[in-house]
Amino acid sequence: MAASALCWALRVARQVLPCPSQTRSYYVDWRMLRDVKRRKLAYEYADERLRINAIRKNTILPKELQEVADREIAALPRDSCPVRIRNRCVLTSRPRGVKRRWRLSRIVFRHFADHAQMSGIQRAMW
Amino acid sequence: MWRFTAFEALLGPEDYNPDVTLPVHSSGAGRNAVARNARRSSRSRPAALKGRRGCERRAEGAMWGRLCGSGRILLLAGAARHCGRPHRTQKLFSTSSVLSATEDEPTAPTDSTTKVASKEGAAETPKQKLLKMIGDMKVEVTTKRKFQQLKEQEIKKQATNKQEGLHGGSSTFQNSAEDVQRSKPLNPELVQAASAVASSFPHNKEQAESELLAQLRRHEETTDKQRRGGTINICNVISEMTVKRQSPAQRGVRISNRISLEMDEDGQRIKPGRPSSHSDSGRSLKAGKRLNIFTKASPETENALKTVSSPTIWDLEFAKEIAAVTEQPPRNGFEEMIQWTKEGILWEFPIDNEAGMDDGAEFHEHIFLEKHLKDFPKQGPIRHFMELVICGLSKNPYLSVKQKIEHIEWFRNYFEEKKEFLQEI
Repeated sequence: MAASALCWALRVARQVLPCPSQTRSYYVDWRMLRDVKRRKLAYEYADERLRINAIRKNTILPKELQEVADREIAALPRDSCPVRIRNRCVLTSRPRGVKRRWRLSRIVFRHFADHAQMSGIQRAMW
Repeated sequence: MWRFTAFEALLGPEDYNPDVTLPVHSSGAGRNAVARNARRSSRSRPAALKGRRGCERRAEGAMWGRLCGSGRILLLAGAARHCGRPHRTQKLFSTSSVLSATEDEPTAPTDSTTKVASKEGAAETPKQKLLKMIGDMKVEVTTKRKFQQLKEQEIKKQATNKQEGLHGGSSTFQNSAEDVQRSKPLNPELVQAASAVASSFPHNKEQAESELLAQLRRHEETTDKQRRGGTINICNVISEMTVKRQSPAQRGVRISNRISLEMDEDGQRIKPGRPSSHSDSGRSLKAGKRLNIFTKASPETENALKTVSSPTIWDLEFAKEIAAVTEQPPRNGFEEMIQWTKEGILWEFPIDNEAGMDDGAEFHEHIFLEKHLKDFPKQGPIRHFMELVICGLSKNPYLSVKQKIEHIEWFRNYFEEKKEFLQEI
């Protein structure tokens, strides 16, 4: 299972164009990989979940129908719900202290900002 | 540089041993005199070394600082300061002061001389007079409107002349008028200017003046002719002319062919031979009659080529490979941006808000979606629900029409599956 997951990870990661800049051929860690899987599944099942939820969160349709819908949505794969996605840092896979705009953890952000590699970022002083 | 030569002279003889040549009779008076001289020189130094000489002072200090390591030079400096060569230092500093003074002096007198010259010359030289005259003369600018007015005037004149001609005997008058105009004397100002210019010539002043006046007369004649003749003559002339166009490529080739920067092994420049043959052939290849020596490709093969099936995967891969091999890294920022735009990283400018979304559907297809509700029951909660769904979809600008139809389809399928269940309820 682990081997297959590893193969899948390698296949996913190998779609890297030959560019001279820094390239990452692997995900930082397994947690990042799982997060990636969750995002993919969430994208696939997004429409279905939306429609089934529209039936569920309803006052017009009969309740029996809504219960059936409840069961249906629970039967979907667990990783398909968007709530399980965690916005990790893109470079270090840190789950906490991640700024949404840059998708970087605070430590990496600070590192790049101090080396003047973040466009438009300046040390605040007032 | 005289500044540094002074110090070179100071520090010149490195083998100078100060201990040996210390004067034996360094008496108190001598010492005081030396001190006084030193003080005088030091006092005179700042007077001489001001402003511009600040760099010299800095250089001097730097030089002293740099050579401070070697004790010998310190001693030398000390000796020079106190007893060694006060007179020479004084002389050196005096020379520096003198030189500085002399440098300052020439600049001051030159300024005064130029000022004097400008004041004096204006009134005297004929050149200045001529320039003044030319500056005072007004330039007559003929604008389009004025030209049209002139045209109308001369047309009227021609009409009146024709009328007069009908009566007869006016042609002679016209000719006489022309003669009178020709013999009309030139503008006295122009004559004066011509004489001034001729006077400024080094030799043959009279000849120059006569030539200038003849030129002026010719110029006047031509302008009169132009005014009378109008634009018609010019139009006729220009219509017959053709413009020879030179393509920028040809121009560039010609310019690059003139100068060759190639170097031989010896370092001699390779001069271009006779490139006329190449250029002639280049021109004659495209121009000229066709010889019809080579037969065109038969139309059968052309059709065969066109009827080839759509490119296979291998063909696509091959094409991709070729593109990947032949592509060069971008030479400048523009090419980089072009590459990014092709890849989709960079948006296309000017920014189109509906860049990836435009499916060519009109607004009524987005809003009026009731026609898709045909298969649904016309009464009941499902219809109510679906009408709400449609209302929501019509207000959604982010989905395409296809996606909205798919949405409704899904609901239809879902309710079809649940029909039996619903009927049980």
